[in-house]
Amino acid sequence: MKGECDMGMTFRPSETSSLLRTWALLPHFLCQLPVQTSLALLLLLLILLRSPTASSSRDQQCASSVQRTLKLTRLIHTESVDLIKTYRASQGDMSHLFCKVSIPDVPEPNISGLEPSERTESILRHLRVFSSHLRRVYEQQTDLQRPDSGLLVQLDTVGERNRGLEALLRNFYRDVFPNLQDWPAGAPASLPPAQNTFQQKVYGCVVLKTYKDFLLNVCRELRSMRSRVCRGRRNFL
Amino acid sequence: MSAGRLPLLMLAFLASASSTSGEITSHLVITPQSPVIQIGTNFTATCVITDTAETTADDLYWNLSQIIIPKNQYTKINESALSVTILVNSEKPEWLYCRSREKSPYISVNKGKFIHGILLTKVYPPDKPTNLTCIATQVKAFIFSNLKCFWETAGYHTKEMSPTTYTLHVEHMIDQVYNVSTKGNSAQVSMGVFPFHLLLDVWVVAHNHLGSKESEHLKKDADWFVKTNPPSGVKVLPDETLPTSLLINWTPPIVKDYFILKYHIRYCLNGSDNWINVPDVDIAEDIQSFRLQNLQPDAVYAIQIRCKNTKKDHGYWSDWSPRVTKETPEDRPTSKPDLWTIIADSEHKNEREVTLICRDPVFSNGRITSFNLEIQTQKENIRNGSMAWDYISVNRSVADSSQSQMVTILKKISLPYQSYMMVHVTAINSVGTSPQASLGIPVKTHERNLVENLKVWPQEGQLFLKWNVTNNTSVTEFIVEWVSGIDIDWQREKRNTRQAALKGNIEKFICYKISVYPIYNGWKGKPATIEAFLEEGAPLEGPSVRLNVKPGRNEAELVWNGIPLHKRQGFITNYTIFYSSGNEIREITVPANITSYVLTSLTGNTKYDTWIRASTIRGSANGTNHSFTTLKYAPGEIEMIVVGVSLSFLFVVLMTMLLCIYKRDMIKKNFWPWIPNPGESTIVNWSPDYPLKPETPKENCLSDISVLDMDVNDDKSVLEEDKTILALKKDKYLSEEHSSGIGGSSCMSSPRQSVSDSDEGGEIADTTASTVQYSSVVASSGYKGQTPCVPPQQVIFSRSESTQPLLDSEENPDIVQEGSRQSQLFPQSPCFTHTAWNQDGASSSKFNQLEMEPQEALLSLDLCPLAEDSVLTTPADRQSAPLSSYMPQLCGYRSQ
Repeated sequence: MKGECDMGMTFRPSETSSLLRTWALLPHFLCQLPVQTSLALLLLLLILLRSPTASSSRDQQCASSVQRTLKLTRLIHTESVDLIKTYRASQGDMSHLFCKVSIPDVPEPNISGLEPSERTESILRHLRVFSSHLRRVYEQQTDLQRPDSGLLVQLDTVGERNRGLEALLRNFYRDVFPNLQDWPAGAPASLPPAQNTFQQKVYGCVVLKTYKDFLLNVCRELRSMRSRVCRGRRNFL
Repeated sequence: MSAGRLPLLMLAFLASASSTSGEITSHLVITPQSPVIQIGTNFTATCVITDTAETTADDLYWNLSQIIIPKNQYTKINESALSVTILVNSEKPEWLYCRSREKSPYISVNKGKFIHGILLTKVYPPDKPTNLTCIATQVKAFIFSNLKCFWETAGYHTKEMSPTTYTLHVEHMIDQVYNVSTKGNSAQVSMGVFPFHLLLDVWVVAHNHLGSKESEHLKKDADWFVKTNPPSGVKVLPDETLPTSLLINWTPPIVKDYFILKYHIRYCLNGSDNWINVPDVDIAEDIQSFRLQNLQPDAVYAIQIRCKNTKKDHGYWSDWSPRVTKETPEDRPTSKPDLWTIIADSEHKNEREVTLICRDPVFSNGRITSFNLEIQTQKENIRNGSMAWDYISVNRSVADSSQSQMVTILKKISLPYQSYMMVHVTAINSVGTSPQASLGIPVKTHERNLVENLKVWPQEGQLFLKWNVTNNTSVTEFIVEWVSGIDIDWQREKRNTRQAALKGNIEKFICYKISVYPIYNGWKGKPATIEAFLEEGAPLEGPSVRLNVKPGRNEAELVWNGIPLHKRQGFITNYTIFYSSGNEIREITVPANITSYVLTSLTGNTKYDTWIRASTIRGSANGTNHSFTTLKYAPGEIEMIVVGVSLSFLFVVLMTMLLCIYKRDMIKKNFWPWIPNPGESTIVNWSPDYPLKPETPKENCLSDISVLDMDVNDDKSVLEEDKTILALKKDKYLSEEHSSGIGGSSCMSSPRQSVSDSDEGGEIADTTASTVQYSSVVASSGYKGQTPCVPPQQVIFSRSESTQPLLDSEENPDIVQEGSRQSQLFPQSPCFTHTAWNQDGASSSKFNQLEMEPQEALLSLDLCPLAEDSVLTTPADRQSAPLSSYMPQLCGYRSQ
């Protein structure tokens, strides 16, 4: 029988190193036992290993999703920094004073909520709002800049990336919080009324600066969320 | 009702509806109307008869491309419908016709209504695109807007009838879908802003008339498709403190917020393509500088970098950055200079001319500025003194210093055969001195010949050598040397090596003299040498032929020089000598070691063209043409002819002289016949006073006539001396002459007198002589026993038949006497009278009278026979008359 076991049983290593060691020793161990006992033990082992393996896979998926979201957030933050530089350079004199003004219609960059889900919902709401503001800034700058201006390209790029970040975070929210509502409803963004050119310039700069600060907060939040949410995924099942 | 019948009924309905409207164009209708058929499948078509009873399904038949389809492929559905099934196995579009036989006049008249055709469109089904690959190439700093995808297609395509169209689909998480269609195998999607860190779903759909097939979906992060630009701003910095390293700095093409990059770094010696890759494990991720180590000092290196996403299988390697070259700092030479010698026999006896040459150390680590040379000869060894180093400065440009194979001539010295020497050399650069290289040259007689059986052969563009060694114990290494013209090169091989390839730049068509020297304990041994070509070719030119010396009459010696080494291009196998003297060309092949040849069997005085063709195993080349002309006469031939002719002439002269000497009498008689001088004739003393003795005439009645033997001068002297006498006796003489009967006497009409006359009147004399010669009369028997008183009738005259001159007959006195006697009997007056020849001018009138005109003389000569005849006929009469006037005439001469 020992010979048959050696001949017939082949095991492939699992994904983790611990499992790898376990699987590596298992054939040798099972071959020392009678066939019926071996099969029973193997079945039991598979049952025991099933839940942690699935949980680990989900954790990995969660972490991967957070990681991808975090990467994109960093990228948008980097691009927003460049965008602000470009914006200031393209607005003429006194541009360094534009961003120091506070405009009430522009949301605060802070993320609200206590639970990860709430904070995630807060991020999603902010992203939607900022998406509207960014579009408005783009429209205003279209009138102020030449069509081939690099500022417009960068504004478009940041706007597109913002949409992508929103999509990523939405997927994350669905994956991590499947039992919650599908999409956190929020009030539509309140855009400022018609503005003069100076006001447009100030408005755009404030939006970009606030957006950059918000992205920085999102990065912090995602790093926190990666450790809090993805490693304790079994608690949310 | 089956589903298959439904279209037929609809078709019939349509046909009937159209017939009611009076627009019938055909009574036959095929369904389906415009089919697209998959190649390789069966196709069934049905022909329906509408609105006529002229024909039935039994009368229908099918045509496919003008060929009637066999009936076994028909299926009769009913009396008005016939279907056919065909296998579509070709791509070519064809027409399928349904026709009716002309069984009635109506059908014959309306043929067009009983025929219907459809075009069969044949296509292959679309195949699933495979191996989908997409690349997003970096356009500007952070712009990767375009995604270009490639895929492969398999199977058959019908490009004409139903081409396959491919549609590239790109979709990402924010529900944006980009589509682009093409008929090729690649397409490009412009996405505006490249969605970094978002998932992309890419796939291709192939579709044509028969349907569509979708490729596998490529669901990857957008980073997965990215190919960035190579790193920019690559700078290489040398470090003086570390001559074996270079520091590289660069700028990544994108910031790490997009993705983290990893790098490949490679380097090589400038000008070489042998790149050395820095191991991946030595290069950390997300770096912007790297230090290359273990490089050669004072070497120019070329360096390149490329980058890629750090994540496994994500992205593509960028192109290599442009080459950046940098030179490492100098270091002291770390290897020996390559010392070698060229030994040749000296002009002085028992000496060798040794040229010391060397190449820079392989690891010169800088520009060699000088060599230190020490020569230790036998003499210095005996003295045990330390030799001073010779400092040999080298002036080289930077370009020269990069060529480590450059040969430096250190020194030339003369070394006696019986002496040895040891040479030590070190190379010096700006940093330090190299290790010492040494080479000994032994006494000539002590040179050891250890290498044998040296063979060489070309292989794969290289020359390979193989040799054996008789005694391997003392050999430390081998030096393989090859020489072509003035170029020399060498390489070192280990002591165990028996086969090697020449590592230098060996060129085709050049003769290399290859030598293998054994080096035993640093001493140079005796080499084995062989010549070889890497590849042979035809000679570039032929030898120039010329004549060694002037050509002979039948031979010419040709001489030619060997072709210069650089133009031979191979081993000369033979020379072919061509020479021609017109259309015929003759050739002679001689071995390659022959440089002269003697052409023989040439034709004299002929122009020859000659040239020589040199041949190798690969071809041949003709030399320049040389013309020469052979001599008309061989050397000495003219001299021989001249000498022969001269000798012959001399011989003839001598013989003539001898003949003249020994035969002078005969010649004298022949050319200058003796003529009796009439002046001395006793007849002048004759006078009528002498009694006429009736002596019995002598047998030779003319014996008393003295022949005048005198020349003209004699004649003159005689005449002058006797002139007075003659004048005194003129009348007497005349009377005597006349009375002597010379003119008419047969006895005195001697021909000799006539001959002597010829001295003054040649013509007359000749005539006379001839007359005398050929008109002499021989008295055959009349004189024998003749007496003066012999009756005339007893004298018998007969004409001589002889042509011999009478002068010849004078050699015989008897004959002369006989002739004289005969002449005496000859009547002279009718022919010629010469008695007046010796007369003075006073008697010239008489002489003129006597001397007739030549014609007359000739006439008289001609008439002589008549006279003779007359004499013959009337001898008695003629004799009787003189006798009457000069009685003693015949016999009255006094005896001489």
